[in-house]
Amino acid sequence: MKPLSYVRAGTAREAIDAFVAAGDGARYIAGGTNLYDLMKLGIERPAHLIDIADLEGADRIDTDGDRLFFGGAALMANVAEDPVVSRDYLVLAESLSKAASQQLRNMATVGGNLLQRTRCPYFRNGVNGTYPCNKREPGSGCAALGGLDRSQAVLGASEACNAVSPGDWPVALMAMDATIELQGRDGTRVIPISELYRPPSQTPHLEFTIGREEIVTGIAVPKTAAGRNSVYLKVRDRESYAFALVSAAVALEMDGDRVGQAHVALGGVATVPWRARAAEAFLRGRTLDREGALAAATAAFADARAGRHNAFKIELGARTLADALITAGSKSQ
Amino acid sequence: MTPSRNADRPRIDAHEKVLGRALYAADQPFPGLLHAMTVPATIAKGQILSIDTAAAVAVPGVVRVFTHGDFAQIRTTPAARGAYGQPGKGYQPMIGPQVRHRGEPVALVVAETLEAAVEGAEAVTVRYAEEPFSAEMDDSLATPEPEPVSQQASGDAEAAFANAAHIVDVEYRHPQQHHNPIELISTTAAFEDGTLRIYEGTQSAAAFAGGLAGMMGMEPQALRGVSPYTGGGFGQKNGVQEQSVLVASAALLLRRPVKLVMPRGQLFHTASYRPHSRHRVRLAADGDGRLLAGIYETVQQNSRYDGFASDHGANPPRLYGYGAWLGRERIVRVDTQTPGHQRAPHEHPASYATECAIDELAGALGMDPVALRLANDTQRDPLTGKPFSSRHLAACLTRGAALFGWDRWTSEPGALVAANGDRIGLGVACGSYKAAMTPSVTTLRLSANGQCRIATSGHEMGQGLRSVIAAELIEVLGVDPGKLDIRIGDTGHAPQHLTAGSWGAGSAAPAARAAALKLREELAQLTGAALTDEPVHAQLARTRRPFLEVSVDTLPLGKDRQAIEQLRRGMPVVTGPEYPDFLAFSWIAHFAEVHVEPSTRRVRVRRVVSVADCGRVMNRRTAESQVRGGVVWGIGAALRETAESDPRFGGVLNNDLAEYVVPVNADIGAIDVDFIDEPDNRLNISGVKGLGEVAMVGAAAAIVNAVHHATGKRIRHLPIRIEDLL
Repeated sequence: MKPLSYVRAGTAREAIDAFVAAGDGARYIAGGTNLYDLMKLGIERPAHLIDIADLEGADRIDTDGDRLFFGGAALMANVAEDPVVSRDYLVLAESLSKAASQQLRNMATVGGNLLQRTRCPYFRNGVNGTYPCNKREPGSGCAALGGLDRSQAVLGASEACNAVSPGDWPVALMAMDATIELQGRDGTRVIPISELYRPPSQTPHLEFTIGREEIVTGIAVPKTAAGRNSVYLKVRDRESYAFALVSAAVALEMDGDRVGQAHVALGGVATVPWRARAAEAFLRGRTLDREGALAAATAAFADARAGRHNAFKIELGARTLADALITAGSKSQ
Repeated sequence: MTPSRNADRPRIDAHEKVLGRALYAADQPFPGLLHAMTVPATIAKGQILSIDTAAAVAVPGVVRVFTHGDFAQIRTTPAARGAYGQPGKGYQPMIGPQVRHRGEPVALVVAETLEAAVEGAEAVTVRYAEEPFSAEMDDSLATPEPEPVSQQASGDAEAAFANAAHIVDVEYRHPQQHHNPIELISTTAAFEDGTLRIYEGTQSAAAFAGGLAGMMGMEPQALRGVSPYTGGGFGQKNGVQEQSVLVASAALLLRRPVKLVMPRGQLFHTASYRPHSRHRVRLAADGDGRLLAGIYETVQQNSRYDGFASDHGANPPRLYGYGAWLGRERIVRVDTQTPGHQRAPHEHPASYATECAIDELAGALGMDPVALRLANDTQRDPLTGKPFSSRHLAACLTRGAALFGWDRWTSEPGALVAANGDRIGLGVACGSYKAAMTPSVTTLRLSANGQCRIATSGHEMGQGLRSVIAAELIEVLGVDPGKLDIRIGDTGHAPQHLTAGSWGAGSAAPAARAAALKLREELAQLTGAALTDEPVHAQLARTRRPFLEVSVDTLPLGKDRQAIEQLRRGMPVVTGPEYPDFLAFSWIAHFAEVHVEPSTRRVRVRRVVSVADCGRVMNRRTAESQVRGGVVWGIGAALRETAESDPRFGGVLNNDLAEYVVPVNADIGAIDVDFIDEPDNRLNISGVKGLGEVAMVGAAAAIVNAVHHATGKRIRHLPIRIEDLL
């Protein structure tokens, strides 16, 4: 392992200054659950680590106002177990509690989780150029296209990359119209979460719109009654400690027995956390039955494209989303 | 005295392990210890053109970078890499410029710290000339062996099959699997008392004397092998590893102790694994369900250079009273590291294929699959005509069926529906595993203060072997479990035989019992009267002797004194399943209940009931634990585990515990275990047959059969995944 320097910052300002001063080899570290893994795989080789886990007030969880606010360094475990989140926003709580393991959730932060990198096996095993990967080595090609693509994306893939965005929490936040607070050299800015992720297109190594020295200082979710009619359904290769084959984040604003605004996002199937607008439009004004739910879910996958081994994700995705819609709808009764 | 049934009793080393005091091989502290890290080959096959070590040598803390130029003196013999004399396991990386499989070590960096060793290893650059390769048994460069490696025949199976009223003809595929014991494979080479000691969490401490010493041009007695504990072996730690001689040689050349803990990602490419296999099963029956014939043909993946035998055909013909049998096994050579034994190495894949085929035959006959199995029960081996030493398989089936509630079974798949809409499937399958034994040289010393020390052959790999030895000493001598000192896995204390193949308990229990009985006998001679029920050490104390020590050589049934000499030389001496007058097997019946979610088709194994006939149960607690572990392995095999390999590159892509999917706690429902617990006194004085392997045999088939019963879908490959059932 490469020798590196390590400093612990007390405020975001300090951290940014330290980052800028450290130059090219600088990386922020919070829980470290993804960064250490990537370092061991040779994907990340930082020379300077700036620890932002203990920034002043960065682990704040505030559910009192008209929005839910989570500091970037709030722990996944703590947000999942927050009484308001786990009672009124099950989609958020479940997206956290079904991720990783309790040990990892006790370390990992909700801000860092937004920036988790893909589990594509070719990306992870590409040290020394073993496998071509446009994410690791731009222009080297993509071994997953035409390779073992069972876990790869069916939505949002490009000719350069079909790696899946791995997270659960970002999918739930996408459904709930979250905004992300970023602090950089020139102050703070707020963006919708949908603008945080770049589609792979021809530059799959550029995954986020966040600036190199910017820090995720907070995540805000507008309060909505839809949170009570919500669910995060995750289907995977085992019952726990696995990434999603397919996941569906659903929250429903109901108008009597009809759907008003549906909030629907998909995970495990797309190159970025995937908002399913077509399904939302289909559901508006409808009563929820099995047939309608399946039709809405099928609409969500209308643009899906299968590779060699992942066609099942389209069918499984539609069924999973339909199940999630029915479950969320049943909570309003 | 005759062996008694054993009560539930805590594991003898439970406290030591739970408190973290048990020092495993890589935990041994040595002053001046150096750390090593390997550089894995990044091609699948070819030649090394050059190795640039300059950057690695420049890393602060790096002591030396070894390449194949440093190790050309390492001798390889057919015995070199295996557990002692196993023929053909001859390939040793880093003694020449060739690369035979992706991930094999091409350089070894030794440094003052682990961090420096890792950084040094990352700094080594290697140029290769690549060659075409085959990483899969189905591709065009794979090389099938022209002749079958083994055959079994009895009667005219082809004719019986051709004329039968009811047949099945099916092919099942088994994937490549990796053992993944939690304790990583490590080697520590250190100098103590002027000799080289090798610490590995191995199942075969004597493999160092028998194999490693020869590779290094040393006399066997110049090496002491120590395996303090094995943190799960499952067959992956049954011999000299690819790294063992490299670390030992580095220590000799540097005159300092060296330790290498192989990272898990590399173990997928250096350690053994269960190879791919294909199984064609043809079964024939008459209208009453009598099995007229079985024809069983298998093809197994192998590496280019070794002789890892295929042995799928040994067990299936012995499970039922087949009228005629034909078995034939073939192998296909590919460019990977050598496959090897993995828990129930051939018995698990074979039982998977044949026990699913039996289920298919039951369907073709319209018979209850339990009834079909009971109708074909036999007390004689169809191949040799000899009786079995003991066989309570029918009792396993009937008791298991009662415990499980098999009366819920319906002939129509998909008919059982849970309250939440899940489809319920019930499945059954049987298994067997040979009852084998090995020789031992045992020294037992009882002190008048109650201390009791035994040194014998065996390796503690979590299966509870120390508890088995303790059970016999407690029963025969009445010793206090807290005053027992059980020395196994160390060639410095007693000759060591490879512990594998479910012969651990069947070898160590009789050895301990024989020693304890001899001690009683000698004490009775000392006291001049028959011993009383009082603890033996108290009776010893009255003779005013501080201790009494006995030595016993234990010969397994059918072997002569030569076995002890072979044991002392580190040669394998294994008996079974065929003995002069009978065949000996352990038996098991598994019953599985799965629930399949109707929409997403997720499969959950709600309950498994397993009833085993392993002879006398030595410790109810560790025995139940063995069976639960075996069933969990069966669940993993049926629904979870497979190595993902891209044929364009070779190697294993899912080479960590996150991506190589084994079951987690949330995947495991109830596992209810029961035992027949009838001693097999024809086999040995302890009445023990063996349990660790048979526990898994048939478990996967029971689950696959239950999935069929729930869904009506017959999936003939493993693992069954969600896409197979959508």
